[in-house]
Amino acid sequence: MAFNSYSLRNQFPILQQTAYGYPLAYLDNAATTQKPLFVLDAIQDYYRSFNANVHRGAHFLSDRATNRFEQARERVAQFIHAPENSHVIWSKGATEAINMVAYGLEHLLQQDDEILITSLEHHANLVPWQQLAFRTGARLRVLPLTSNGEWESEYQKYFTDRTRIFAATQVSNAIGVSTPLKTMIQEAKKYSAFTLVDGAQAVAHYPVDVEDIDCDFYVFSGHKMYGPTGIGVLYGKSQALEILIPYQTGGEMVRHVAYQATEFNILPYRLEAGTPHIEGAIGLAAACEFLIQQDRPALLAWEQKLANHVYTRLIKEGGIELYSPEKNTTLVSLSVPNIHTIDLNAYLDSKGVAVRAGSHCAHPLMAQLGVSGTLRASFACYNTLEEADQFCDVLLEAIEILGDD
Amino acid sequence: MTDFPTPCFPTPHAIKQQLQACRSKEETFKALVILSKALPRLSDEEKTEDNKIKGCESAVWLITVEDAGRRYFKADSDAKLMRGVLVAVISLVAGENQQTIQKMDLKSELAELNLSSYLTSSRSNGVLAILKTIGQN
Repeated sequence: MAFNSYSLRNQFPILQQTAYGYPLAYLDNAATTQKPLFVLDAIQDYYRSFNANVHRGAHFLSDRATNRFEQARERVAQFIHAPENSHVIWSKGATEAINMVAYGLEHLLQQDDEILITSLEHHANLVPWQQLAFRTGARLRVLPLTSNGEWESEYQKYFTDRTRIFAATQVSNAIGVSTPLKTMIQEAKKYSAFTLVDGAQAVAHYPVDVEDIDCDFYVFSGHKMYGPTGIGVLYGKSQALEILIPYQTGGEMVRHVAYQATEFNILPYRLEAGTPHIEGAIGLAAACEFLIQQDRPALLAWEQKLANHVYTRLIKEGGIELYSPEKNTTLVSLSVPNIHTIDLNAYLDSKGVAVRAGSHCAHPLMAQLGVSGTLRASFACYNTLEEADQFCDVLLEAIEILGDD
Repeated sequence: MTDFPTPCFPTPHAIKQQLQACRSKEETFKALVILSKALPRLSDEEKTEDNKIKGCESAVWLITVEDAGRRYFKADSDAKLMRGVLVAVISLVAGENQQTIQKMDLKSELAELNLSSYLTSSRSNGVLAILKTIGQN
């Protein structure tokens, strides 16, 4: 099947508009992606045809809603190659999923235990661990990955007998590099640490096989992979999920309640208190289906080609600092000396190009790079070569206008 | 007498004419770049944490000086567009007393200057935080 971003683009109604009279070039996909008709229709179909609360009422609509809700779980399990549907726990997003684990493992941590993260983490995979360390007296340690994400043998020394949790991103949101995930996970396993992978930036682009990664927990958000906001996933191995103390309690997650004690439900329900985000789960399953229907290697190759095209054009210009790698990434992250990225962003916006300027929720990484922020253009399957060029052209104009003193 | 008011500022009338003539976001951008050049930069000693305005993604420093009941302002930012916005804001309020400034509807005045997109609650700019600071006790 030949991949064509132009025909795929037609499935995204929001992209068929202009911004301030210019063609809208949406290049902020690492923040959130746009949604295809397939997902929009699935969400609307839920409300039009089978909205009811799940798992309780024994009636026509409730049965349909429950079936579709659990089918959604199955679809997501297939998408990430989880061996059992019950290994997929719904969350609000990657952030909540990480918090579920950080609170859920608290009872196992002691003074001077170590929690290890990498230096490429988004605040979502940093702050929950730091706060967990504060609460328990454990120490937060940072494995210093280079900005090209390479594994150095000296990194081994960061794993110790006290390492209880190792949490790492699969792909950096700020600079687009992939981390040496499997090497790190294998290393963590030697010390019997719990392992968590933040897949938020990976799922839209790369095939994910949680069994192959062999991590205890894998988290991601729906909205970064063509699904709706407010829904995400905590995948876990059975033993890992069983050990988590539910960080929220209430209805749905219980089997029997008395004033003296409560018996919790089995997985996955034990970790899903309250009425779930049914529409979100159905929308996310539709997004998985949408991606499964595509020629995914071709999509990834296209997104990487766009990023590489921009990289190659800009590196020739000189005077632009590039922080993302030349190849094997779907985004470009840059700064221009003496010009604020917010100013570049504002000019790009004025000509219809949507990108992101700032720290990308990764203050420590920005400090490592020696910048206060970067400008990030991140690509999705519906972006075109014209948009990549529009970004380069307008960026170069902006540098000329802003760099005159 | 301090070194206020800043003599090289364009008049509010001139600023109004320049900004109201802008027909697009791009033109407003270019006009703000030109305006930004009118803002004298602060020294490093003046860029203290105390003078920094919270809520801006770009760094913004604002110093208020009262002279015979009138308020004058010195300001700076590491972002050029923000310096342009600061020129526009300061031109509206410089030399007025606090009561007058507090009575002014600066949000509407800036909206009239085609700057309403800088008044959103987006975390990327803190113009609202600047307006709040300008009228503070």
